[in-house]
Amino acid sequence: MSLEEEYRSARHGAALSRMDHVGLARVRGDDATEAVDAICSGDLWVRDGRMIQSLILDERGHPVADVYVCPDDDDCILMFEGLTTDELSACLRKYADPELNFELEDLRPAYELISVNGPYAWEALSKWLTPDIIGLPYLSFYHFDRGTCFRAGKTGEYGYDLAIRSDQAERSWEELLGFVGVLGGGEVSLETLDLCALENGFFSVRNVSGEGLTPLELQLQWRVSARKRFPGVTAIEARRAKGMERRLTHFVARGGVETGELIRDVDGTVGEVAAAAFSPSIGGVAGMALLDVAVAYPGIDSFFIAQQNAERPIRTVSSPLLFNRSLLVDPHRHTYATRDQTSDPPLWPGSLP
Amino acid sequence: MLTELSDYVSTRAGVLDRVRRMLRDTMKLRIEPESIDPDVPLFGTGLGMDSVDAVELVVQLDAVFGLTLSGSPWVSAKLRTVNTIVDAIMEVGDEP
Repeated sequence: MSLEEEYRSARHGAALSRMDHVGLARVRGDDATEAVDAICSGDLWVRDGRMIQSLILDERGHPVADVYVCPDDDDCILMFEGLTTDELSACLRKYADPELNFELEDLRPAYELISVNGPYAWEALSKWLTPDIIGLPYLSFYHFDRGTCFRAGKTGEYGYDLAIRSDQAERSWEELLGFVGVLGGGEVSLETLDLCALENGFFSVRNVSGEGLTPLELQLQWRVSARKRFPGVTAIEARRAKGMERRLTHFVARGGVETGELIRDVDGTVGEVAAAAFSPSIGGVAGMALLDVAVAYPGIDSFFIAQQNAERPIRTVSSPLLFNRSLLVDPHRHTYATRDQTSDPPLWPGSLP
Repeated sequence: MLTELSDYVSTRAGVLDRVRRMLRDTMKLRIEPESIDPDVPLFGTGLGMDSVDAVELVVQLDAVFGLTLSGSPWVSAKLRTVNTIVDAIMEVGDEP
């Protein structure tokens, strides 16, 4: 499929993707939760069968991993981006109390991760797995005969991450491909998933990271505990005391914007492009910029990117940029087959500068 | 900074501050208002609000800002983050 067809699958139908960039591990032992709590920046107030998003920071307070923590009986399943399993293991050895009783089991390659995203992803899963899937709450999981189904996703649409036993993975992939094909979808690349994440303001540790970027600048304070010690907490406290200078802010532009370009107003530089990609829904560029905190607000039209022979205007906007179809699709009332019977508002309700 | 931009930023920052305080009080959050990021999701992740909180939030937005969302087909779009609430308030003006 072309990128445009992939995008249409993810935003209007159902999209099937391999999640080879995501690590999967199980922490076992009487103190598994305490060990995981020692390395995560957020409070892990989550009950068995549910999931919570957290971060792992380095000593400078920079996110190095984006983690789903999933308590499962006395164990903890971790789905993570940004670190290898060996690096995660080293992190646990370094920061968890050596008296704690736990061990890390790499679930790769025994399991493969496959994701299904889209406003009708639930329909594919309800036919492939069980009709009960539509009742699975966001950020929860359950086990089935071939593996585990996590209700998550980073596209703003219905999303399911499937950890499937490797001996069942190819068979499952082919079956799911058939179901998403009926729903106007197909295989979708990581590039398209990343674009969807950008449009919806999801943090990507692979695409937005760098010197001086802590959860404060990245608008991820909700993943930082105010009550416990964790790797990088000293740097976070220092940053809070000093005050942050920049904040991640979303913008749109007509086109031709590259990561790293400087953003200016009439008085000089006000920020830098942190990520940008063409969005078919917007008909232009969706981006994130690190702006001086004094002007890091949506609704500003006076900034521009100075290029060789032109000034390219941008408009700062609120996140998420899109009015996702999944907000309007009710699995109890709608189906992909009857999708044209309702008149939905546009995905992008705004305009370009 | 241009006067027009300066005025806009000042107004927007003021509304943002009031919305943060309202959210902190409504949700009984034990954090400083400035720790609530403008783009933090309200539901699911982020502040972790639920449907009961949503009802209370709609009532508070009407009472404090004169923003009537009850029955609006756009309510789910306007209640996604702190910033989308601020957008909605600034569209209608923030006088109760």
